[in-house]
Amino acid sequence: MITKVVGKRVERVGILDKVTGKAKYGADLEIPNALILKVYRSPVPHGIVRKIDTSEAAGVDGVVRIFTAKDIPGENLYGIINKDQPVLTGEKVRFEGDPIVLVAAEDEESADRALAALRVEIDELPAVFDPNEALKPEAPSIHEKGNLLFERKIVKGDVEKGFTASDIVIEETYETNMLEHAYIEPEVGVAYRDEDGCVVVLVTTQNPHSDHAQLVSILGVEPEKVRVIQTETGGGFGGKLDISVQPFLALAAYHLDRPVRMVYSREESFQATAKRHPLKIRMKTGATRDGKLTAMKAEIIADTGAYGSYGIAVATRAAVHATGPYEVPNVYVESKAVYTNNNWSGAMRGFGVPQIAVAHESQMDKLAESLGFDPITFRMMNAFTTGSVTPTGQTLNASVGIRETLKKIRPYYEQLLREADATQLSGLTGMKYGVGVASMWYGIGNTGHPNPSSAQIEVDHEGNVTLFTGAADIGQGSDTVLVQIAAETLGLPFDKIHLVRADTTLTTDAGATSASRQTYISGRAVYEAALEVRKQLVERAAKVFKVPANLMVCEGGFFFPQYREFQKLSLTDIIRRSLVPGEVIRGEGYFNPETTSLDPETGQGVPYTTYAFASQVSLVEVDLVTGQVGVVKTISAHDVGKAVNPANVEGQIFSGVAMGIGMGLFEQFYPRKTKSLDTYLIPTAMDVPEITPVIVEVPEPTGPFGAKGVGEPALIPTAPAILNAIHHATGWWVNRIPADLETIRGLTSADEMEKSKS
Amino acid sequence: MKISFTLNGKPVSCDLPSNRRVVDVLREDLGLMGTKEACGTGECGACTILVDGIPRLSCLMLAAQLEGRDVTTIEGLSKSGETLHPIQQAFVEAGAVQCGFCTPGMVLATTHLLSENPRPTREEIREALSGNICRCTGYQKIVDAVELAAEKLTEKGETA
Repeated sequence: MITKVVGKRVERVGILDKVTGKAKYGADLEIPNALILKVYRSPVPHGIVRKIDTSEAAGVDGVVRIFTAKDIPGENLYGIINKDQPVLTGEKVRFEGDPIVLVAAEDEESADRALAALRVEIDELPAVFDPNEALKPEAPSIHEKGNLLFERKIVKGDVEKGFTASDIVIEETYETNMLEHAYIEPEVGVAYRDEDGCVVVLVTTQNPHSDHAQLVSILGVEPEKVRVIQTETGGGFGGKLDISVQPFLALAAYHLDRPVRMVYSREESFQATAKRHPLKIRMKTGATRDGKLTAMKAEIIADTGAYGSYGIAVATRAAVHATGPYEVPNVYVESKAVYTNNNWSGAMRGFGVPQIAVAHESQMDKLAESLGFDPITFRMMNAFTTGSVTPTGQTLNASVGIRETLKKIRPYYEQLLREADATQLSGLTGMKYGVGVASMWYGIGNTGHPNPSSAQIEVDHEGNVTLFTGAADIGQGSDTVLVQIAAETLGLPFDKIHLVRADTTLTTDAGATSASRQTYISGRAVYEAALEVRKQLVERAAKVFKVPANLMVCEGGFFFPQYREFQKLSLTDIIRRSLVPGEVIRGEGYFNPETTSLDPETGQGVPYTTYAFASQVSLVEVDLVTGQVGVVKTISAHDVGKAVNPANVEGQIFSGVAMGIGMGLFEQFYPRKTKSLDTYLIPTAMDVPEITPVIVEVPEPTGPFGAKGVGEPALIPTAPAILNAIHHATGWWVNRIPADLETIRGLTSADEMEKSKS
Repeated sequence: MKISFTLNGKPVSCDLPSNRRVVDVLREDLGLMGTKEACGTGECGACTILVDGIPRLSCLMLAAQLEGRDVTTIEGLSKSGETLHPIQQAFVEAGAVQCGFCTPGMVLATTHLLSENPRPTREEIREALSGNICRCTGYQKIVDAVELAAEKLTEKGETA
C-alpha cells in the first residue's frame, strides 16, 4: 500500500515548543494566588497511627488548612486494578512514605514548618521486606486479606511428562532488581474550582480518564464535577499511571476557595511512587537432543510492596510470557504477587516481561550451549510461527515476526563475533569481549481484559479538521502517530489536522498510555473515526459534483470524480459548498481488540489480539579488574507490524536499549535507602553505545495500517542479551541483575580462588 | 540585595535575597519557565544555563553569583528575527526530543561544546553531554543533532 503520511518521518507534534522552552509542563503553569501543598509521610515502614495532633502545625504562620483522612468526602481508597491504597492513611501505615497529613500553605517555607510541627504518634509493627518471608503464616499481616495479593497459574499439556521426554533439563534461579522510573520531570500539578464548581486538575499523567474516575470516587461527586487535563508530561515509563499528586490537589481544591499547586521533589518522587517489581524466578526448561523445547516450569514471586497497584498485571504478564517467543508443548507456571512493607511496585515499561525475559533467555542460551547449537539457530528451531499455539492456548494467526527478527540479526551476530575475537587478540589484559543474543515477545494492550479506545474527528464549516483523543502523549510520540493516521486516512496533509488531547471534558477515554497500546488501539480508533469522516466528505463531494459517491476520489486533500482530476476541489471548497455555518461533519471511532479473560485455574484464554516480537545482539566488554561491563554495540530488530513513524520507532528502540543497560548493569533501588539521583544512577550518554535499529514489518491485520507497538518491547531483550554476552566473554552465567561491579568482581575472585586451589 | 546582570542580551536589575537559588530567580521572579528543575541537587543537568558562556547548574547557584554576569537561558538562545537557533533547528531535524524536559539543558550544554569544539567526534559529544541526563531518547538522536548542529554552524561560518 502506498502511503503519503504513514511511514514517513514527519516532524513531531509539539517539538518546536520543546526546543524553545515554551512547552508548558505542570510546574510551568502560572496560577496566581496558588497555595502550596505538602504531605507528611510515615517515617516507619509498618505501624498503627495512634494520634494525629495538628494543633501546633495549624498555628504556623501561612498555613491555610490541614487535611487528614477524615476530610476525604468520598472513598479514601484507590488503586487501578484492586483498590487497597488510602489517599491519606488514618489507621495503618504500610511503608516508609505512606501519606498521613496534607498541608496547604501560602508558601513552601510555611508548609515545611507546618510539617515539622505535626505530632503523629505511630505504634510500630514488625515489618516484612522479603516476599518469601511475607508468605509464611507467622509473617506480619500487611493487609486484612493476607499478604498474597494474587496468584496466576498457566497450565498447558503435562509438564512432568514433558521433562521425562527431555534429553536435557536445566533448572536455575534468577533474581531481578527493584527499579525507579526516574523520568526527568517529577510529579506535579495544579488544581482549582471553576465557576461551575468543577474541580479542575492539570497534571502530569499517563492516564487522564482513569485519574478522573478515581478522583470522582475519592471526592464522592458526580463525574462532571471533576475535570482532568494532562499537561505536557516529562516522561512516565509506567510511573505516572498511578495517581500521585492528583488526589491531594483535588482534595484541597474541593475544600478551599483558592487554587493549589503541588510539586514532588526528586526525593519525594523516589519515595512516594511505584517501582519496578523485583522478581524471584525458579525456571526449569527441558529440550530434546535435536534441539526442540519440550517443557517449561516456572515459579515466580513478585514483591509488590505495600500496595497492589499493577501487581496483578505484572504477575500475570510474567506468567503469560514465561516461555519466551517459543513453542513449548508442556508448560506449568505459578506466579505470585506478594505484599511486603517495601515501596510499592507498580507498572514500569514492560510489566514483568523484562524481568521474565532475563530467565527465559538465559535458559535458552544455557540449553543451546549444552546441546551444541549457536544461540540464533536454537532460537530459530523453536520460535513461534503462524499457527503456533502459545502457553495460554492461543493460536497465533498473523503478524508473527520473531523468525524475521532473528534472520535480520544473524549477519550482525556473525560480524560481532569476529569483532569480539579480533579485539580480544589485540586488547588489553584483563579485558574480555563477548557477544550475546536475546529475543522477546510482548502482548499489546491489557492482559485478558477489555481495553477499548475511542476518538472523534470533526470538520467545521470553514474546513478546520480537529482530532480529539484521550491518549496522553508522555514523550513517546502518540500525538504525532495519531495525527499521521488521521491525515493518511482522510487524504490530508499532516499539518492540516488540529489536535485536542487528554482532557476529560473535551475528549473521551482512550485508555492508559501503557502496555504499548496507543499506536495499535487508539491508532485504530482514530482510523475508524477518519474513515467515517472521509465517507461523509465523499458523499458531500459527490453531491457537489453530482456523481455517485462510489465514483469520487479523495487524495492529498482534494476531491474529484474518477478520471476528472482537472476538476479537483479542495476539502475547503467542498466544505464551503456543502456546510452551513455551525454545521460540522463528525466521525466517531472505537476499537477494543478481542481478548478473553484467562481461566483462573489454567490461565487458558486469549490475553491479547496481537504480539510484538524482537531479537537483539550486543557486544560487551568485561573489565575483570574493576568489574565494569560496557556495552560496545547493539543491534536491535523489532517487528512492529508497520512503523507509522520510523523515526519514532527508532527513538523508542534507542530509549529501550538505554534503559535496559541501566537495568542490566547498575540500577538498583534499595527501599528506605535510595533517596535520589545521587545514589540511583541512570545511564548517561557515556554508558549507551551506538545502536543499530532494524525495523521489521509483518503487518497486523487489526492494526491501523498494520501497526502494533514498540514502547516496551524496545527495553525487553536488552538485559538478557547483556547477560548472555557476559557469559560468552567470561564463561560465567550471571543469574541476577544488575550485573554490577560487585557481581563481576565477586565472580573474578571466586574464579581466582578456584584456580589457586587446583 | 540589588543584583545586576545581563539576561539574554538585556540588562536586568532586581532586588533579591542573596541566597535565592538562580533557578527560582529565573522561573518564579522573572517568569522564564524554559529552565527546568528536576532534581535540585545538581545530578541531572535539566536546569543548565549559560553563565558567561559556560554551562552552570542553576539549582546550585545563588542569586548573588549572578552579579555582573552574562546569562543565557533557552529563551535567549536564538538571535532576534530567528525562530530557532541552528542548534535548536538541528534538534528538531534530528528528532532529538521525546518528552522534552531535558531538552533546554541539552541544547545549552551543546552550545558550549560547539563554541569550544566546533567539530566534535561522537565520543566527544557523549562526554560533553554526560552531565545532562535523558531517560527517553537513549541519547543517539541527541548525538546526531549535535553533529548536525556542528555542520550547520560550520557551513554558516558561525560559532555557537
